[in-house]
Amino acid sequence: MSVLNIPFRKIDIDKYDEDVLNDEDLYDADPRDPSQVLEEARQRQAAVRSSLAKNNTAEALEIVLENAPYGPNVDEAKEITLSTLLTILNSTKATEITAVIKSLSPDAQDTLMKYIYKGMAMPGWGDISGSVLLGWHEKLTEITGVGSIVRAMTDRRVV
Amino acid sequence: MPPEIFTLAQTPITAHAFNADRQELAVSLNSNEVQLYSRKGQEWIPTETLSEHDKLITSIDWAPNSNRIVTASQDRNAYVWTETPDPETGKLIWKPTLVLLRINRAATHVRWSPLENKFAVASGARTIAVCSFDEESNWWVAKHLKKPIRSTVLSVDWHPNNVLLAAGSADMKARVFSGYIKEVDERPAPSVWGSKLPFNTICGEYSSPAGGWVHTVGFSPSGDVLAFASHDSSITIVYPGGPTVYTVRLPTLPLVTLSWTSEESIVAAGHDCRPLVYAGSEQGWQEVGTLDDASSSKASEGSRSGFGSSGGVGRLKAGAFATFRDADSRGQNTGSVSSDTKLNTIHQNTITSIRPYDIEGGYVARVSTSGVDGTLVIWDTNEVSALTARMGGVRI
Repeated sequence: MSVLNIPFRKIDIDKYDEDVLNDEDLYDADPRDPSQVLEEARQRQAAVRSSLAKNNTAEALEIVLENAPYGPNVDEAKEITLSTLLTILNSTKATEITAVIKSLSPDAQDTLMKYIYKGMAMPGWGDISGSVLLGWHEKLTEITGVGSIVRAMTDRRVV
Repeated sequence: MPPEIFTLAQTPITAHAFNADRQELAVSLNSNEVQLYSRKGQEWIPTETLSEHDKLITSIDWAPNSNRIVTASQDRNAYVWTETPDPETGKLIWKPTLVLLRINRAATHVRWSPLENKFAVASGARTIAVCSFDEESNWWVAKHLKKPIRSTVLSVDWHPNNVLLAAGSADMKARVFSGYIKEVDERPAPSVWGSKLPFNTICGEYSSPAGGWVHTVGFSPSGDVLAFASHDSSITIVYPGGPTVYTVRLPTLPLVTLSWTSEESIVAAGHDCRPLVYAGSEQGWQEVGTLDDASSSKASEGSRSGFGSSGGVGRLKAGAFATFRDADSRGQNTGSVSSDTKLNTIHQNTITSIRPYDIEGGYVARVSTSGVDGTLVIWDTNEVSALTARMGGVRI
């Protein structure tokens, strides 16, 4: 036990490495300004509401998954996008899920997988029933295979 | 012809390489020694053991014309082995020559250049050591490709012009470098990768599509196209002109090794334990099937009823589902059924290396694979069978 508590283990050794590899070196940064990202997230939220009002779930999902915010300094935009997305998932009938997922582009399917895992990682699962996220996860995996889960795990562009 | 299957060991095979006439084989059985085998009919008979490395041997390459073996190891060394007569007995023995790699982390991958006068060693030191022979001092010296590599280099592959080198790295990038060494190389002809090529020129840099380590890279036979597979379950093909980049997403677990079989086809394999075939051209690429025709192996069809239709799910879900279903509805503990752990692929674990075996006029008619299951398989690249119908129930 004592070995684990020795103070030297808490030293940030990367500080002494001239050529340290940082997280942001591992992916291309979002070219958009954080305030612009936030603005876009709000606009999408509104667009999604109107799509949902028309009962067009596929369109709503497409809107919210396009240009999803990632990287540092856009936490608010990420939260808005997640809650918008969870609204869509929650309001979709179980029988429609497969058709909706199939209508998405492969990129959007991979992004959806990231959000499903993000939703499941939240305390209280983002206030929606666990069976909703698990149901979407099951249907999505049937279409994309486990490859999509692998991509959600490896991608550093965390949503 | 059906695949030839050789179970060499119960331990993983970390690397394998054949000699020119394919009658001899060098493997690393997850240890610090190279085991040599000789082919006798349908069997591989162990012959010699090459011991010089202190730690795990990560990669082996056997130069077909000069008949030299190069080995790379986690002990940060590489050795070039030459078959020479023993001064006392006159018997041929393999003699190691140390290579001055000057790296401070493990060597991960090694490949001879096409002319066999150089080899490249990838390493964990964010470096590729391009080694050539120094006649004066009678040893192999290294020049380092360093910039702009930010992490461990996992694989290298030579361009047919003996100068350009592709490298896949854990910083999520595949790159094409110039490995031009003035003392040994003639000035290369201009190609799609560029015309002026001093050492360490970056001729191309490509990111993996969803942030996965680039496990494997390969130039097409002409050298004009680059393919790489990454840990985000995807394979990417690059035509450097535009550049035009095609990414094929896999429904399955990631690929870790690939081999071009012609200018329009690639065989790749990895954690899904079966070699997949990709075909395409500058107009696009797609998966066309697998070399592992699972229906010919000992698979029992009945136990995966109801899963065939969902295509592309991969083995994880079906296997786990069957376990829980049996435990729940039938009170069966499938853990006690021995067939449950048997995959219906030929390789029973991850395939870590795939190499051209039989080349006929620029076209690879057969490839060899080895993997964590200690098995070596030689496949006919024409025996491609469709994949979709079987994806749902890979595990029985």
